Amino acid sequence: MMKKFLSLLKTYCNIYFGISSMKYQYTREKKSLWKPVLTLAGVVVGIGSIIYLYCLMISGIFRGAQAIGHPEIVLTVAFLLCQLLSLIFGIFYIISVFYFSNDMGMLVPLPLRPGEVLGVKFITVLLSEYPVTLSLLLPAFILYGTTAGTGIWYWLKGIVLIVLAPVPPLVIASIFVVLLVRFVNIRRNKDMLMIIGSLLGVFLGLGINFVTQNIPEGNEAEYMEKLARSSTALVKSIGSRFPASIWATLGLSLPGLSGWGYFLLFVGFSLVLLAALWWLGDRFFYKGYLSGQEAKRKGKALSRQSMEKSIGTMSSPVSALFRREWKLFLRTPIYVMNSLVGVIILPFALLMPYLTQQGGLKQAMGYARNSQYGFIAALISLGIILFGSGMNMISCTSISREGRTFWFSRMIPVSPENQVLAKLLQSSVLSSVYLIVIAIPLAVLLHISPGRLLAIVILGTLVNILMNILGLIIDLLHPKLEWNDPQEAIKQNLNVMFSMLLSWLVIALFAVSAIALIQYGIPEAWIYLILGLLALLLIAPGLYGLFALARHRYRALEA
Amino acid sequence: MIEIKHLSKSYNKGSVKAVDDLNLNVRPGEIFGFLGPNGAGKTTTIKMMVGLLNPDSGTIRLAGFDTAENPLEAKRQTGYVPDNPDVYDRLTGIEYLNFLADVYEVPVKERCERISQLLDMFDLTDAVGDLIKSYSHGMKQKIVLTGALLHNPAVWILDEPMVGLDPKSSHLLKEYMRKHCDEGNTVFFSTHVLEVAEKLCDRIGIIKKGKLIAMGTMEELRHGDQADSLENIFLELTE
Repeated sequence: MMKKFLSLLKTYCNIYFGISSMKYQYTREKKSLWKPVLTLAGVVVGIGSIIYLYCLMISGIFRGAQAIGHPEIVLTVAFLLCQLLSLIFGIFYIISVFYFSNDMGMLVPLPLRPGEVLGVKFITVLLSEYPVTLSLLLPAFILYGTTAGTGIWYWLKGIVLIVLAPVPPLVIASIFVVLLVRFVNIRRNKDMLMIIGSLLGVFLGLGINFVTQNIPEGNEAEYMEKLARSSTALVKSIGSRFPASIWATLGLSLPGLSGWGYFLLFVGFSLVLLAALWWLGDRFFYKGYLSGQEAKRKGKALSRQSMEKSIGTMSSPVSALFRREWKLFLRTPIYVMNSLVGVIILPFALLMPYLTQQGGLKQAMGYARNSQYGFIAALISLGIILFGSGMNMISCTSISREGRTFWFSRMIPVSPENQVLAKLLQSSVLSSVYLIVIAIPLAVLLHISPGRLLAIVILGTLVNILMNILGLIIDLLHPKLEWNDPQEAIKQNLNVMFSMLLSWLVIALFAVSAIALIQYGIPEAWIYLILGLLALLLIAPGLYGLFALARHRYRALEA
Repeated sequence: MIEIKHLSKSYNKGSVKAVDDLNLNVRPGEIFGFLGPNGAGKTTTIKMMVGLLNPDSGTIRLAGFDTAENPLEAKRQTGYVPDNPDVYDRLTGIEYLNFLADVYEVPVKERCERISQLLDMFDLTDAVGDLIKSYSHGMKQKIVLTGALLHNPAVWILDEPMVGLDPKSSHLLKEYMRKHCDEGNTVFFSTHVLEVAEKLCDRIGIIKKGKLIAMGTMEELRHGDQADSLENIFLELTE
């Protein structure tokens, strides 16, 4: 039985992580070797900078925790973060890998127990969580281990605990999903399941944000100590709900038998959870999967009139492509949710420190509403809005989202320029909608005058167009066209990260320009005008480059 | 109507020749059957004809237009059905057809007539308001066929078009192919069903390891031996 399981696991991981296809691509087509090298470099720079910031935070907490005599808090914080993030992001992967990957049609007829198939899928999700797990746990683990005078057992126990760290949250998420699909007949409506998963993730994210926003004030030393104190309180409050992270911490930090006791408690807990998942998988996994297999179809003939209404007007190819983009986008909830999530979370995340601190919001509002700072408030609002729209992944996934239907784009008699133009229009309309939807309430809240509002909307639209052009260029260079589930096109797509980094650069460029212009004492109206012209000056070569690249890439990307 | 000259395509830096110096000519009014064992290069040839793959060398002209020099015009003259179509499953059937009609710039009156006619023929009228993702494999094949033919292209390029079709639709498609060619147009299709090729095609080409090893009418392929079936000829040539 074990041999069968291991063989399935090996094959499944090979398919899921594309090992053979990567090997094939980069051993046979050595010319393309620059692609993974460049991607890796980008990932190192992009993720490296995030990890660097995280390390700074962890060492701050560690110093504070040392000051109050509880350095082990740093371990709890790291374990807690790792487990919460595994829970939030794990839900998406679990729903997608368990129920919506195309391989189920091939796996179900094989002589394998449902628990085995579920086990293999679970391990795949677990493996894909490890990069995040290691990034979160290793800094704290090494920091504590090298400074707190630990022995060899600390390091050995630590390796086991790091390997097992994402197991409890992922098993809990898996059990939740397996039972939900089995008893609430939701499998039939895949989109609904994805929405529930997304909302759960958003609420968990917001909730954690709310709890963790008690940032203390004062000088640095005080800050560190308060941070550690507040972390202790936070660790206690969240830790009591997720006791596994406390067990892991005590298992590592306590000496002697009690340390081993907590260590074994954590290991035992993880193993019991795994066994429970296996047991549930055998009973419910296939039943849930099969319960929603039949397709829903109305099968009602369209009347002659409604058919004529549907096809009775002729539009230009660009307009037809533009409408296709919208329909496919709006009818795929995972795309809508993902493009909205950043925009919904961002204002909350920014307001959260003020909401949780009495008087803070009032004070900030007071500054912003002061006519002296009105112009600055308008520019900062614009920066925040652009930061939010930079997080939407519509333009930088617009080629990737075509996936296996990309053959249409190569086959239809529409020039590549017109095809990317339709995509640029769609993403720019969407960013403009975001811009307006967020700018108007902000303007009301901060008493921004209608004139200023108009100026930041126009300027914001231009910068959005520029960011969308860059997003499209990134996607054209390296689209992810091989995927089975729409969520892979955006969630496992590195273009999203590259485009986000590039959009931050664009925002930084405009911010620096605005600051320089203000310092030179240029009047407000001129500043808007100069920034607008700068945007236009960048859009023109951007568009030219985009069209040239489209002509080349639409030919090079064989379908 | 279809002119292919010295067409070649290889993979893995030239170590695998998928299509090797292919030359063929399909005249107006002809149904041309393209046969060959698995992996012989049929789909690669077809994909190069419709612009999905780039040839390493050689030229392709469709209805007088060079596919490299004038790709958009060549595409307008062509209707293509792939062997295993991936379609926009989040559009309804009618939205998909209307999208293609816009892209191929089919006038309103003509699109209404042709869509109704093709939907009736393929028995899809009842399903056309539903999302394509609810369709069966055969229905998807039929909606793709409808989409490929609605701009009334002079050249039909069909990769295994009968696969997945029920007997009635398959029969109607064959009649429609004949009618289309009788009006002076051209059909180029690949198939593994030798009986269909034998009965339907005016000329047949057999490809093996990327090379065209035989081409001609059934009589020419038989070399005068009337008793020989296409199956025997095929097996003999491709062994």
